[in-house]
Amino acid sequence: MTLDDLTRTSGEWLRGTGPESDIVMCSRIRLARNLADFPFTNRASRSEKAGIESQVKSAIDSAGLEVSYFDVNSMSNLDRQFLVERQIISRELAGGEGPRGVAVTPKENISIMVNEEDHLRIQYMLSGFRLHEVWDEINALDDQLEDDIAYAYSSSLGYLTACPTNVGTGIRVGVMLHLPGIVANKQIDKVFRALQKINLAVRGLYGEGSQAFGDFYQISNQQTLGKSEEEIIKMLTDVVPQVLQFERSARQDLITGRRQHLHDQVSRAYGILKTAQTISSEETMLLLSSVRMGINLGLIDDLAISTVNELFIQTQPAFLQKLRGSELGVEERNVARASYLRSRLSNGRPVEDD
Amino acid sequence: MMCERCQEEAVVHLAELVDGRRRERHLCAACARDAGLILPDTPLDLGIDEALQDLIKKHVGELVGELAESFCPDCRLRYMDFRTGGRLGCPHDYQVFGAGLTPMLQRFHGATRHVGKRARSRPGASLRLRLRSQLRQAVAREDYEEAARLRDQIRLKDQHA
Ligand SMILES: [Zn+2]
Ligand SMILES: [Zn+2]
Repeated sequence: MTLDDLTRTSGEWLRGTGPESDIVMCSRIRLARNLADFPFTNRASRSEKAGIESQVKSAIDSAGLEVSYFDVNSMSNLDRQFLVERQIISRELAGGEGPRGVAVTPKENISIMVNEEDHLRIQYMLSGFRLHEVWDEINALDDQLEDDIAYAYSSSLGYLTACPTNVGTGIRVGVMLHLPGIVANKQIDKVFRALQKINLAVRGLYGEGSQAFGDFYQISNQQTLGKSEEEIIKMLTDVVPQVLQFERSARQDLITGRRQHLHDQVSRAYGILKTAQTISSEETMLLLSSVRMGINLGLIDDLAISTVNELFIQTQPAFLQKLRGSELGVEERNVARASYLRSRLSNGRPVEDD
Repeated sequence: MMCERCQEEAVVHLAELVDGRRRERHLCAACARDAGLILPDTPLDLGIDEALQDLIKKHVGELVGELAESFCPDCRLRYMDFRTGGRLGCPHDYQVFGAGLTPMLQRFHGATRHVGKRARSRPGASLRLRLRSQLRQAVAREDYEEAARLRDQIRLKDQHA
């Protein structure tokens, strides 16, 4: 699998299947792990980073995982950005230096970043609300990698990480939620404050500090020490259904109180996406969010939810440039984006005129 | 207090002067024997243990004062560097800077002890961390003979891992 192959496929987590997938885009768990016998990435020399990378790569090989390893160090900036947009690597790994990379499975459920803030950042993602399943999978994967890797671990502090905020389990358990209803009824701040009170973090689609793109929010644990993995997962599986309930009733209010207005808004959004000749990323996110909710409320019936999910990722700047095979300025991207949207939303019929 | 080389409880606590700096060492019985320190084969009797405990308690105040300037012998990170950069330099730092980290962990996590999945025990790993640090220093002072020797030693240990 090459990077270019990735432009023709999409991650399993975008399929829009699994429990509660009208609101829960995906469930994801990340484990931070380090090799016991090396300094953390930020203090490691170039040759030590290369040593870490080769040890991790051979552990992945012996685990028998079907993965492609992408060498982020030798990659162009565009390709790095492409992997960030796809949620395969973090901005920190993209912007780092020295030997580093990522192993990815064809369905993109698993990604293992090497020499990020920690030597290993193991991630497992599945579409829908399936945290227990994700935990079973990633826990087994972690065990397999440990056959070949001595993890930095202390019996009192657990898995030792470069930043003390991740020490202990090294786990981040998160769900990505689509919350257009709560955004529309302006209750979103209230929900956030309630979540923060119980030490859950809320972030946008692209992680820390990113704007909430298309009404997507990631909810995850912040504390990693003093609670077991199962207890942390339980926090999420207890709280998320309440947020889902909130979002469902917000959507219900929208459709009962102002059905015609909502139907109009959704149809116009769909219309613009199908016909625009130039469109910004921000407007695309906004309209796709409307269309996604419209499908879930039965206001649009000729479009698959997976197509909309994919378009959130595939209308990002780097994807469009990879598709065109060249770097594009903002204006050119807006034209390329509109053209790509038209082709994807015409149910496969070619309507290109360029 | 844990052994600085493995995850056993440390029973030997030493203070030694290295390059004019006071350095504390905490070792379990096995690692102390490995390091060539002479130990009685019988477990240390309580009297000695208590005396050591008292000695450490007496030095706690001093440790807090010295904390800012203290540094990790393996990765050379100073506690001050951690406070400004927010990242630790190696797994050993959790022991070296324990006095500063514990209150921080309590504030952020509301806890200071790990609960949950346990890693398998790998006794050789922290020795290799130490050897790699010696290797870095040997390369830095262009002592290539020593560097080659250390590299062989690490390779040997890797095979046993
Ligand atoms: Zn020991
Ligand atoms: Zn260190």
